[in-house]
Amino acid sequence: MGMPGRPGDHQWSQQHLSHYVEGDLRPRARRRLDRHARNCVDCGRGIRAMRALVHALQGLDGLVGARAPATIFDRVRLAGPGGSASSQHA
Amino acid sequence: MPPLAGQRLPEPAGTEASLLARAQAGDVAAFERLSSAYADRLFMLLLRLLGDRGEAEDVAQEVMLRAWQGISRFRGQSSYFTWLYRIAVNEANRALEKRARRPAGVPIGADELQLPDSPLLDPSRQAENNELREALARALAELPPALRTAIVLRDVEGLSTQEAAEIAGIGQAAFKSRLHQARLRARAAIGDQALVSTG
Repeated sequence: MGMPGRPGDHQWSQQHLSHYVEGDLRPRARRRLDRHARNCVDCGRGIRAMRALVHALQGLDGLVGARAPATIFDRVRLAGPGGSASSQHA
Repeated sequence: MPPLAGQRLPEPAGTEASLLARAQAGDVAAFERLSSAYADRLFMLLLRLLGDRGEAEDVAQEVMLRAWQGISRFRGQSSYFTWLYRIAVNEANRALEKRARRPAGVPIGADELQLPDSPLLDPSRQAENNELREALARALAELPPALRTAIVLRDVEGLSTQEAAEIAGIGQAAFKSRLHQARLRARAAIGDQALVSTG
């Protein structure tokens, strides 16, 4: 059985799920994806998965145990007002 | 004894401007006070981009040194936070280039991923969430640096597209392209089943 909608809708929808959840699609493109996803199990689940991914990534912002090291200004202090400490990455 | 880095909240705008002026005049203490407000967040960004605590600590020191050495040239065209974050992204990318011949990315360990247990979640749901977080960390570590930077700045850090693009040093359209690519790859790496069942 073929995919619902115009040929190419499925692949196009799969490639634009992030644009969809971000609100980056123009109205016509959004309607195209909506129409296809209504009858496509994969793309319907893809939208839910993409939303869940973004939600989970946002949840990582609450990570604990990530205090900056007490040494973070050591090279600045070593450099002093002239700022001339040699860079480790130069 | 100086306060621990990152303990302070960002200074009020007037105070930040005053600290900035003093730092630009060569006052190390003012620079530390100005920058320490962002130190924890900056370190977390480096940890996410580099995936290795030791390397993140080293690069964090380098970021502060670069900022100190360049602060006299800071003209305030962006916020101090944006400017500092941009240095951090650049330094993280330099560090990643240096280790390009080594396996890309080391997943952040479980300790760094641990969130406080939520009393609202039962143990099995909590375990599912922990599994998802570990899968997310692996997926982020597998992304090319430019894509990882985009998804970390926008989705994890929650910055606006404009601010994240500025920090990444690219236009907003190019940034969004990277962000969408990163999300598609992360979704493919984790799998819809795992995302939908815990989402």
